[in-house]
Amino acid sequence: MDKNQNNEQQQIVFHPDFFVVPDNGEKPYLIGFSCKKCGKMWFPKLPICPDCWSDELEKKPLGRTGKLYTYTVMNVPQPGLKAPLAVGYIDFPEGVRVGAQIDMPPEKIGEIKIGMELEVVAGVVRQDSNGNKVISYRFIPVC
Amino acid sequence: MNSREVCIIGVGMTKLHKKAAVPVDELGRQAVMAAVKDSGISPKEIQSIYIGEMGGLSGSICLGQRICATLGLGGVPMANVESACSSGAIAVHQAWKDVATGRTDISMGIGVQHLSGSRASGTAFAPDANDPEGIQGVTMPGIYAMRAMRYMHEFGATPEDLALVAVKNRRHAMMNPYSSFQNPITVEDVLNSKMISDPLNLLMCCPNADGGAAVIVATKEKARQLGAKLVRIAASEITSGIFTNGFRDMTTMEITYRGSKEAYHMAGLGAEDINMVECHDAFVISEFLYTEAMGFCGHGEGVEFIRKGMADYGGKVVFSPRGGLLSCGHPTGCTGTAQIVEATWHLRGEAGDRQVPDCKAALTHVTGGGVYGLDNAACTIHILTR
Ligand SMILES: [Zn+2]
Repeated sequence: MDKNQNNEQQQIVFHPDFFVVPDNGEKPYLIGFSCKKCGKMWFPKLPICPDCWSDELEKKPLGRTGKLYTYTVMNVPQPGLKAPLAVGYIDFPEGVRVGAQIDMPPEKIGEIKIGMELEVVAGVVRQDSNGNKVISYRFIPVC
Repeated sequence: MNSREVCIIGVGMTKLHKKAAVPVDELGRQAVMAAVKDSGISPKEIQSIYIGEMGGLSGSICLGQRICATLGLGGVPMANVESACSSGAIAVHQAWKDVATGRTDISMGIGVQHLSGSRASGTAFAPDANDPEGIQGVTMPGIYAMRAMRYMHEFGATPEDLALVAVKNRRHAMMNPYSSFQNPITVEDVLNSKMISDPLNLLMCCPNADGGAAVIVATKEKARQLGAKLVRIAASEITSGIFTNGFRDMTTMEITYRGSKEAYHMAGLGAEDINMVECHDAFVISEFLYTEAMGFCGHGEGVEFIRKGMADYGGKVVFSPRGGLLSCGHPTGCTGTAQIVEATWHLRGEAGDRQVPDCKAALTHVTGGGVYGLDNAACTIHILTR
């Protein structure tokens, strides 16, 4: 995917280093960064390893699903975002926790439960101050 | 560390306003004048001044100089400090450090914030929109709601339990003329208030406020000369968050565990010695997490502790006798200083109807700052004794 915009609708991908949406139609996945020196796994991409300061960080695709550690449904999200908005922290088997939106229609939002399996998808997370749609990772329940 | 004993010789604060009629610098001046009058010193005796304000919100640079200029307090070292909600407490810490290390004999810390004049009402504080979680739209109430959700899941707390803290702190605030809110509320009122971020209703979140507070510190010798009741700073502790993106336990407030341990060590005291706490109760869940992090009960035992009234008058320790952030309101940069003002009044026996009986030791605590990967960006703890 192009770094800044993928079509004429002014969609912007937030930090394309963080996740991959394959061109061949396969499902998107997040990218962890494993420190070659101390072995610690980081997400998202960092310039150096905060633990040992090595700058040799190796891209490691993360699994596509994780377990919901906790969540909330915000009725007053940041300005410019629609309520109700569900967000949560998803724990990946590789040892990283990712905070992101959970994409649920309002009538199903009550079905979100701690411990449920969620999978990563790409979607519009917000509009930026110029009205561009910002694309990033979001989560949906595993069916 | 080789350091001199430091005492609080003067405190002052404004009423905390929902919407102050005067601008931010005037709030600061009112607090300074009250503190100087309380101390009995001449204002020119103050040898260094620190000002905490949550930066950028007032739109002012060098806010401290603006506050102090027309009070004739210039010509001394002066610095504006910012670490979100910890700003005001860090200003007092800097003043303490000057006296403790012998750089000065008398110094002052000021905390001030005029939120109503600087932020749109009805919005929630949020992490930077450019950080990986900020971009997803999460707010500070959202983050604390997620802590609350996990805490309820693990330890069986209910929304009614959460509401107890809001009701208790409002009951305390009814006796505090400096508080923004003084009308009584019930558990039903709390649970029926607007849902902000599940499970946190509006009355479970601290309101914005405007206010100023000032604390003047000095050597023990100077405090003795002035003849006031001695209030000693037994510990002044600041620390910062540690980056992690692994499976951190969101019901364990790591920075406060670490900070209070260090503060107890510095003071040579333990939780069992503390009579009152002003904690960073920006959301009701905070009091559960902090009774545990500060060692008043074990992990997960905050529910029972609060249900049994152990954090109230007649219990083990009084949490938020002034009404906390929940009822006083949270003028971010001011709060840490205002907590120290309150604790000083209790240690002197000057807290009126809300006086904590025979208060010998008080702990004040503010955290602050939503930065990606940190539980909290800052944590500042003071232990005061008489
Ligand atoms: Zn490393």
